[in-house]
Amino acid sequence: MEFQEDLVPKYWYNIIPDLPKPLPPPRDPPDSEFSRIELLKRIMPKEVLRQQFTVERFVSIPEKVREAYINIGRPTPLLRARRLEEMLRTPARIYFKFEGATPTGSHKINTAIPQAYFSMEEGVNHLVTETGAGQWGTAVALASRMYGLESSIFMVRVSYEQKPQRRTIMQLYGAKVYSSPTSLTEYGKKLTSQNPDHPGSLGIAMSEAIEYAMTNGYKYLVGSVLDVVVLHQSVIGLETINQLRNLDEEPDVLIGCVGGGSNFGGFVFPFIGAQKGTKYIAVGSFEVPKFSRGTYNYDFPDSAGLLPLIKMITLGKDYVPPPIYSGGLRYHGAAPSLSMLIKEGIVKWREYNEREIFEAAQTFLQAQGIVPAPESSHAIKAVIDEAREARVKNEKKVIVFNLSGHGLLDLPNYESMMKRMS
Amino acid sequence: MLVSYLTLGYPNREQFLTLLKGLVDAGSDVLEIGPPPKYAKYDGPVIRRSFKQVSSQGYDMWALLREARDAVSVPIVILTYLEEWIPTLEDFLIKLKDIGINGVLFPDLLIDFIDEYEEYVEAVRTHGLKSVIFTSPSVPDPLIQRASKLSDMFLYYGVRPTTGIAIPITVESLITRVRTLVENKLVVGFGLSDVEDMRRALKAGADGVAIGTAYIEEIERGGVKSAIALARKFRGVLDGS
Ligand SMILES: Cc1ncc(COP(=O)(O)O)c(C=O)c1O
Repeated sequence: MEFQEDLVPKYWYNIIPDLPKPLPPPRDPPDSEFSRIELLKRIMPKEVLRQQFTVERFVSIPEKVREAYINIGRPTPLLRARRLEEMLRTPARIYFKFEGATPTGSHKINTAIPQAYFSMEEGVNHLVTETGAGQWGTAVALASRMYGLESSIFMVRVSYEQKPQRRTIMQLYGAKVYSSPTSLTEYGKKLTSQNPDHPGSLGIAMSEAIEYAMTNGYKYLVGSVLDVVVLHQSVIGLETINQLRNLDEEPDVLIGCVGGGSNFGGFVFPFIGAQKGTKYIAVGSFEVPKFSRGTYNYDFPDSAGLLPLIKMITLGKDYVPPPIYSGGLRYHGAAPSLSMLIKEGIVKWREYNEREIFEAAQTFLQAQGIVPAPESSHAIKAVIDEAREARVKNEKKVIVFNLSGHGLLDLPNYESMMKRMS
Repeated sequence: MLVSYLTLGYPNREQFLTLLKGLVDAGSDVLEIGPPPKYAKYDGPVIRRSFKQVSSQGYDMWALLREARDAVSVPIVILTYLEEWIPTLEDFLIKLKDIGINGVLFPDLLIDFIDEYEEYVEAVRTHGLKSVIFTSPSVPDPLIQRASKLSDMFLYYGVRPTTGIAIPITVESLITRVRTLVENKLVVGFGLSDVEDMRRALKAGADGVAIGTAYIEEIERGGVKSAIALARKFRGVLDGS
């Protein structure tokens, strides 16, 4: 008999050896005296950096990390959205992987755990990161607590003020949460002296977190975009492959939303590697049009340009996203591996606007009862479109998507959307 | 196989020639010479410093290369970015052949010219030069296999994302992954700088190592003589002592 826990993989999957072309490496800008690659060495936990640059197809998940995954409720459920199928009168079968079932409510904990674990093993006692919508900060706060580490979270000021509940959760876990820009860093001080009411941005919070980690000898945790984060997130897709096998289902279409690309890559790449599925759809926001308007170029992952250049689909590091209610999709770029797969046409993309997303979210929650995170609702919209197409063509295809998080802490955003829609 | 890298003209013209001969006497099988590029895409801070120093002295690249060629008899491979020579590639290759250089190694060939790399390999060969192909851990398996077949002399495998920054990596795992894909000789380099790294690489199946940054750092510390002594040490490790 198979136990639930046996569905949790013992290895993470790295797609780099299986990409169609070489992945362009991170670079230092041409005329810079200071090396950003060297900086990574100072701010990232050593093992995280080692995993980033030791490219292997399968990377063993430390037993302690696997136990922690099981302890937070992995494997997360793979559910069939029967009511949604009925509502859409589609012959397609729709499944979703529910990452909202983790304690922090999203997939972000899947990389926070190993990064915090490795930090603890290395004798680090304090972790630092930034957070926009709050999902990533919450995950780092919990993972730090799990390993007895301190954590400092630089939260974008507007979110800090608009999302007090996220802040409260982080504080309950024991994190120090700062409204960024702060006066704790030179960068923050400079900005607040120019404008005491500075609203902040993810890029600013990121730069503050990096500076704070560097000056205090703490370590900085990365929440998306880098290959190593996508590697850790592969636990999502690997579990889903096992779960589908137990259901005797062969997937046709795989769908996920994209902010920096970590839940999409983590969910879909293992399927690409195993040559399962025939169509992969990455969904972004119409208001942050990186797929339709972005260029494929070397660019900085952070606004201050403290990190090395990486080649990705990007709207430019200085791009200022509009204040859409899907905070997690406002990032200017996308993971290098995902960017390449999109450029090569192996992964297709879609972009949907806020209204469409809101309607899709409502359809889904009325059908299945789960309030989806606004980010994840982008995937739902693409699922609905695929299911409708299946109805028109009368195709019994199997659609599987990643519900990267629940939206119970995004209710204020839902409320403001309801007002705008009425 | 010991492949030794030198920045053309570093630390200065005279000492560069002393270093060149010294590295060969110390047992280098192949020399890689790098003229300072316009954009040092994958070079780390140490090699960038050497470029800067050389550029500020301003030599005639071709005259110095000719002197280098005449000074030693081991194969010389020019390490340079293809991007820089594309507008004058014919001319560049003809000149190299003319002064007796043996081959070229373009670290950006598979990254920035992936769709036409085989044509460039062909172009190099048509001019009577060897084409050594540069690969790295971010090159997918099928391409490592293909490049290994196409590469002349050996396949170069750069294990770190940039030279001279000791990013923590597991050299063994990186080599184990590609060893079964590579029938050619496998030379490991790019940021491989200490003897321990080197031993691990050889144990995991590398046929040789390429050393560069370590020499430059040694020159900065103790001059050309101590860099040559370092090469002797590396030779010793290769020979199993
Ligand atoms: C629930 C949820 N889904 C998706 C994302 C987008 O990030 P990524 O593309 O890295 O998965 C976020 C980011 O905050 C998120 O909170």
